[in-house]
Amino acid sequence: MSDTAIEATGLGKRFGRRGGRALHDCAFRLPTGRVCALVGPNGAGKSTLLALAAGLLAPTDGRLRVLGTSPAAARPRVGYVAQDKPLYPQLTIAEILRMGADLNPGHWDPAAAEHVVAGGDLEPGTRIRSLSGGQRTRVALALALGKRPELLLLDEPMADLDPLARHELMGTLMAQAAQYGTTIVMSSHVVAELEDSCDHLLLVGGGRIRLAGEIDDLLAAHVRVTGAADSDRLDAHAVVESRVTGRQLTALIRPAGPLPAGWRASAPTLEELVLAHLRNPEAPVLTTAPAATEESAA
Amino acid sequence: MVEYRIDRHSGVATYVQIVQQTKQALRMGLLEPGDRLPTAREVVEATAINPNTVLKAYRELEREGLVEARRGLGTFVRRSLGTTPVDPSLRTELVAWAERARRAGLERDDVAALFTAVLDTHFQGERS
Amino acid sequence: MTTDPTVPRPRTARWLLRLHRPALYGFAALVIVLAGLELALAGPLADAAAAGWRQFDACHTSICSYDQAAILRYKDYYEYATYALDALPFLVAAWAGAALTGRELETGTARLSWTQGISPARWLTVRLVLPAALVAAATCLLVWLHHRAWAAGRGRIDTASGWYTLVTFHANGPTIAALALAGLAAGTLAGLLLRRTLPALVLGVLVTVGVAVLAQQLMPHLWPTVTRVTTLQQGGIGSAIVLDQGLLSKSGAHLPMPNCTTAAACDAAFAKASGYYTVYHPYAHYWPLQLTTTALLLAITALLALASCLVLRRLTGALRAAGTAVEAKDALVTA
Repeated sequence: MSDTAIEATGLGKRFGRRGGRALHDCAFRLPTGRVCALVGPNGAGKSTLLALAAGLLAPTDGRLRVLGTSPAAARPRVGYVAQDKPLYPQLTIAEILRMGADLNPGHWDPAAAEHVVAGGDLEPGTRIRSLSGGQRTRVALALALGKRPELLLLDEPMADLDPLARHELMGTLMAQAAQYGTTIVMSSHVVAELEDSCDHLLLVGGGRIRLAGEIDDLLAAHVRVTGAADSDRLDAHAVVESRVTGRQLTALIRPAGPLPAGWRASAPTLEELVLAHLRNPEAPVLTTAPAATEESAA
Repeated sequence: MVEYRIDRHSGVATYVQIVQQTKQALRMGLLEPGDRLPTAREVVEATAINPNTVLKAYRELEREGLVEARRGLGTFVRRSLGTTPVDPSLRTELVAWAERARRAGLERDDVAALFTAVLDTHFQGERS
Repeated sequence: MTTDPTVPRPRTARWLLRLHRPALYGFAALVIVLAGLELALAGPLADAAAAGWRQFDACHTSICSYDQAAILRYKDYYEYATYALDALPFLVAAWAGAALTGRELETGTARLSWTQGISPARWLTVRLVLPAALVAAATCLLVWLHHRAWAAGRGRIDTASGWYTLVTFHANGPTIAALALAGLAAGTLAGLLLRRTLPALVLGVLVTVGVAVLAQQLMPHLWPTVTRVTTLQQGGIGSAIVLDQGLLSKSGAHLPMPNCTTAAACDAAFAKASGYYTVYHPYAHYWPLQLTTTALLLAITALLALASCLVLRRLTGALRAAGTAVEAKDALVTA
């Protein structure tokens, strides 16, 4: 049993021969048992990364290991919900759940799937084509959860849901993580949506990994500082973003030692951290998750 | 049984909110020694927060000796937070002080700010 | 990776049938209607037409009563049945391109299947093998019935279609079954390549048309031909698959058929000839031609199916868990 859910080294994906690079030189490690927020602007490569991990796309460069094996071999242990929540429109909810049971013999959990569907007051005889976006999401999640996966990959799972359903389904996902130790990766371009539920962050921007690690570690590694624009320089520290307003300078830095005198420090929020990195693509990459070799040696 | 309510905009870390609310329940006698705290699954299902946050809060409570985890059974309350009986004269003095503050023209917010500042100086290191 | 015998296999075939139930019912209805038509052609319709021709042949007066309606009815229904059977491969190609693969890739339900216990390899295999079995069984039955219907009119009905005509030749033998399988593979490949319903439908049909034209072009050359010389009185051989025909000069050289418009010109042209030569396939070549063309079509089908596998592999990476052994070795080396 591997303690690593996803590990990427030099991972790249290009579409078409001369097509654009969706992902480039991505390296990160996601330990098992984490709930990971995959954050980035639209078109950053989030969906591509999830599809690669689900074994639905082949990488053009680099290596990707999922649950200690190749994505294709891990597929039976991985649940995946695509962004547009594809389902067969001609089937009823009951039929699509039976599909899950038929196609995942031996590890299908009908109660888990039905629990998710029941939360939405959906009639089992309703055809998929007559469902709303949020109801489709619910059925797609039911299919993915019924499979009792070790790793759950969710592409924009909350986008179509009303606040009530969002809270309820997020609760269901968290319960899954709490009970079975399921590793969950969910993408969103709204950080606030995931902040309370996730303990791990993967920030993707421009096809590259910008930040990767435990959210607490990432927050602890950064400080928001304010001081006079003419005070001591911050050169000794990695500056992610700095802004001068009048005589005051505000910056988000990764301190490399004690701060020079005259600076007031405060802890940044996750949203501030993410936005600062997205606004400044040249900011240095930070990966705080320990490499697999270190962990296995420990 | 205690039910946690997470306030996202309070600025207080989520795990701290769970610790605080547990202690509050202990003080108010809603939780007594031997009671089982809700499981992490139950808490996260209702609040949609990360399971590790709940576990972190429970570890904090365990470190303080308030609860203990029994493998496979759950987390149980070990001791209650016996509230020290308040000396009635303390309250009388505070009431008198508050009346003086109002006569001096202080508004409710001014009083609150002043009170918090004093609390911060005298109860440093303790979280409410 | 070996499959664990204790883990039951996913019921993929059952799911494919359930998903395409309307298409299955439609296809079954079509087969039943066509089979009924062929049975009617072989029996009452052919008998009535044959009786009509007997009446006609017995006529010696200019005012003659014969059942013309029965003759025309047989001819019309025979044509409907033949064209319908010949069109079947293109219908299969359209369905395979649009519904079997194109739509699944367009809407993303293929990905849903791949993350629901069906590996892409199995997904493709079941999509090729199961419809192939159904289509092959149905077309073979229809072809056999059609051949029966055709044989019922042979020698009895003067207007009966010759074995060598394009539409009858294919509707009478296994070539159409093989073309249907090629259509299935072509549609599947088109769906995988284009990943869109409508374009895949069009491409699937176009590729199948191309395959049909190619097979038709190659068919006469797949078996050695017979060359026969006939006298000018006998005329050239007509009721066969003719590859080349012309005049034979007195010296034995092959001359083209004269393209003469006046009696004088024709007389001059025929004066040089000693007879006709015809390069052709006689009826005895019927089965060799059918079987070689079928083999050619099956080979094309296999190539198309292989191409589908390669396209899917390029799309999704490893099709099955193959490569695990290699990676495990990899891990051992690095450890």
